[in-house]
Amino acid sequence: TRANSGRARSITPAVTMTAKTSLLKVILLGDGGVGKSSLMNRYVTNKFDTHLFHTIGVEFLNKELEVDAHQVTLQIWDTAGQERFRSLRTPFYRGSDCCLLTFSVDDNQSFLNLGNWKKEFIYYADVKEPEKFPFVVLGNKLDVTERQVTSEEAQQWCQENGGHPYYETSAKDATNVAVAFEEAVRRVLASDERTDHLIPTDTVKLHRKPRSATTCCS
Amino acid sequence: FSCYVTFVTQIIFEHEGVFIHPGSDDDGLEQDLLISGSLRIVEKVKLFSHDSSSVMEWDQCSGQKSQQLLDSQQSYETEWDMVNTVSFKKKPCINTEGSLNHGHERSRWALTFSVSELRSVTVREEGWPFLFFRLKDSSTSLPALHFHQGGSTDFLDSLRRFALLSEAPGDQTCLLVSTPSKALSQSFENLLDDNNFGLVHKFRKDPYITTLGGFSKVTNYIFDAFRGTEEQHQRPPEEMAELLGEVIPGLEINQQEEPGFEVITRIDLGARPQVMRKPPLSAGDWSKHQDLEGRMTNVPHLKEAIFKGVKEAWKFLLGYFPWDSTLEERKVLHRAKTDEYFKMKLQWKSVSEEQERRNSRLRDYRSLIEKDVNRTDRTNQFYEGIDNPGLVLLHDILMTYCMYDFDLGYVQGMSDLLSPILYVMENEVDAFWCFVSFMEQMHQNFEEQMQGMKTQLIQLSTLLRLLDLAFWNYLESQDSGYLYFCFRWLLIRFKRELSFQDVFRLWEVMWTGLPCQNFHLLVCCAILDSEKQKIMEENYGFNEILKHINELSMKLDIEEILQKAEGICLQIRSCKVLSESVIYGNFQRHLVAFICHTRAQFVEVNRETVFKSECQNLK
Repeated sequence: TRANSGRARSITPAVTMTAKTSLLKVILLGDGGVGKSSLMNRYVTNKFDTHLFHTIGVEFLNKELEVDAHQVTLQIWDTAGQERFRSLRTPFYRGSDCCLLTFSVDDNQSFLNLGNWKKEFIYYADVKEPEKFPFVVLGNKLDVTERQVTSEEAQQWCQENGGHPYYETSAKDATNVAVAFEEAVRRVLASDERTDHLIPTDTVKLHRKPRSATTCCS
Repeated sequence: FSCYVTFVTQIIFEHEGVFIHPGSDDDGLEQDLLISGSLRIVEKVKLFSHDSSSVMEWDQCSGQKSQQLLDSQQSYETEWDMVNTVSFKKKPCINTEGSLNHGHERSRWALTFSVSELRSVTVREEGWPFLFFRLKDSSTSLPALHFHQGGSTDFLDSLRRFALLSEAPGDQTCLLVSTPSKALSQSFENLLDDNNFGLVHKFRKDPYITTLGGFSKVTNYIFDAFRGTEEQHQRPPEEMAELLGEVIPGLEINQQEEPGFEVITRIDLGARPQVMRKPPLSAGDWSKHQDLEGRMTNVPHLKEAIFKGVKEAWKFLLGYFPWDSTLEERKVLHRAKTDEYFKMKLQWKSVSEEQERRNSRLRDYRSLIEKDVNRTDRTNQFYEGIDNPGLVLLHDILMTYCMYDFDLGYVQGMSDLLSPILYVMENEVDAFWCFVSFMEQMHQNFEEQMQGMKTQLIQLSTLLRLLDLAFWNYLESQDSGYLYFCFRWLLIRFKRELSFQDVFRLWEVMWTGLPCQNFHLLVCCAILDSEKQKIMEENYGFNEILKHINELSMKLDIEEILQKAEGICLQIRSCKVLSESVIYGNFQRHLVAFICHTRAQFVEVNRETVFKSECQNLK
């Protein structure tokens, strides 16, 4: 049911975009154990912890970065992957600018579930135009030797499901992690620019939060 | 009826068969002289005046045979004769029954003092419980009351409704008595000069925010059901009552206004008591609580000691071993439980690949367990490294639990609950059965609809609203009134927030069921109380609150939290309206809270009893 999304209001406050730095909210979704938290930690802290706990509840980390001369604060949300916890995580989908659909290349089931994750996100994030919403697909654990999902299969799925960009990553050895997150930012900015052409530039945007001077990155 | 009722006398407690031993020393060992009497706590509330008092009365049974008494009564009379609020004296009285006696004039013994005069109660036990009362006026000494026919616990519980009883440092048999704080009466002082019907009205006008200040201040208004109409978030009384009913089974809130009485709309908890916790129970103390055959003895006291801090005893606390089992019985039980465990273990061990291929649920459970075992407490020596036997045990117990409860199977978070238990038990079978017991308490948290989590979040939200409306309002204004950020705390009982040692401490405290049910919710409140200032001063929004709470992990001081949580519990307990409700569950089904117009104190009574006593007063 959507009872929860009714109570949960938009997580990113609605503000105008006047400052140079904008806040982008991305959310990592995928089965338990595919490496969502590890990807987030690798990207934000550049560390990999083999002893990391599985996530209970919801967490997020911020990362400042510059993409194509845009100052961006990326707010990365990480959730518990087990089906059971759906009612907890779904309220946090709202206000997302990008969704990172994650599976593990050594776990076929996690790949097969991508479609369900995408559906769940679109439904609970209340995405108005799903075909235009930026998704990025991540095939994690590239470092493991026994793959169950080939690159071709994954790429084909991305093609058939809306032409999402696909990255094979390894949170463990850092392969492609930064590239994938930066691509997510580009996708969001690109969709914003498209919108910018359609509406007057002084129009209030509802999903960007300006950075205050004190917290602006150096 | 307000026009003619001027006095309400309410018998709060009454028990016959409470004895004094007038001829004995304080140790009460000499039993030559036994005088039976009945003990009462009576609350007298004078309407339209400031007078109210709770009085303890002990009265010798009329017609009791007490020849032995006659010899010694004179010598004690002067000693027990009191003035002012305290009295213990013989009242002359004629024994008219006298079937066994000589029919001449006898004296009756009686003892009366105001609860507010009480300094301490010392609880002793020599085959039966007996209580020593010390008054603030130290020159007065009272005889011990001997509860040969039970009732001492009930008596103390009743006393707690009027006074806060806290253990004296260094002497757990001695309970120090403090009567409701001045703050409580002062906070109502300004109401007293108002007209009889102005209470609720006054509350509405009262800029209570200014009195709220901080949680730590002496005065805490905790509940404001009928806050003024100018309030944006005003909630109708029915809604508030309904809300309370969810967290507080059994509490009924009177929603009618009647002359003579007013519905309580706000409750002042009074000052929070300072709680001093004690060091853990030692192994020596533990074995002292076993009789020759290994039965645990004096379990209430033992639980009390465990509540105050201990390691050990988990099998009993969790209900794996019955408290009254003998060593021999436990051996038998252990054997049976071992058999049962390995039968269930064999079930999943013997599933063939082909079978598993056709059993998606088992496959999913196994897959998730394997993933999570590799991600549970891996920095703990018991689970660190590759091929640590601890990992195999964790895995096997969780798989066996799936066989024990296939409907639930494995849900994330369960490995966190098992890990400390296995660490302490160091034994697969014991760990399994203790885990089973723990899961009985936690089951609802993990069920399909997560009903346990929803219920607890609602309860916690209601509780917080009662305890600290200002903070609750702040959270609500940040879309955080539903306390999502407490999810992890509640799902796995703070397992991720504390070090292993601290988890042990907190869990065994919770397993004692002391000092109240739902103590973990008060633990939540205690932590939030400590963080509230930062959250509000920094004006944290939804995201920042979540982040802040998440980042408290491993930074919490468990002793401080337990002290504060217990303090809140005592605060609530000493607040008459709420006691026996949130925490105490089903105590009184028809609890109605009244407040007399001109009184600075609450009278919590069963409505029918009030009517009865009013009728009596009229006669």
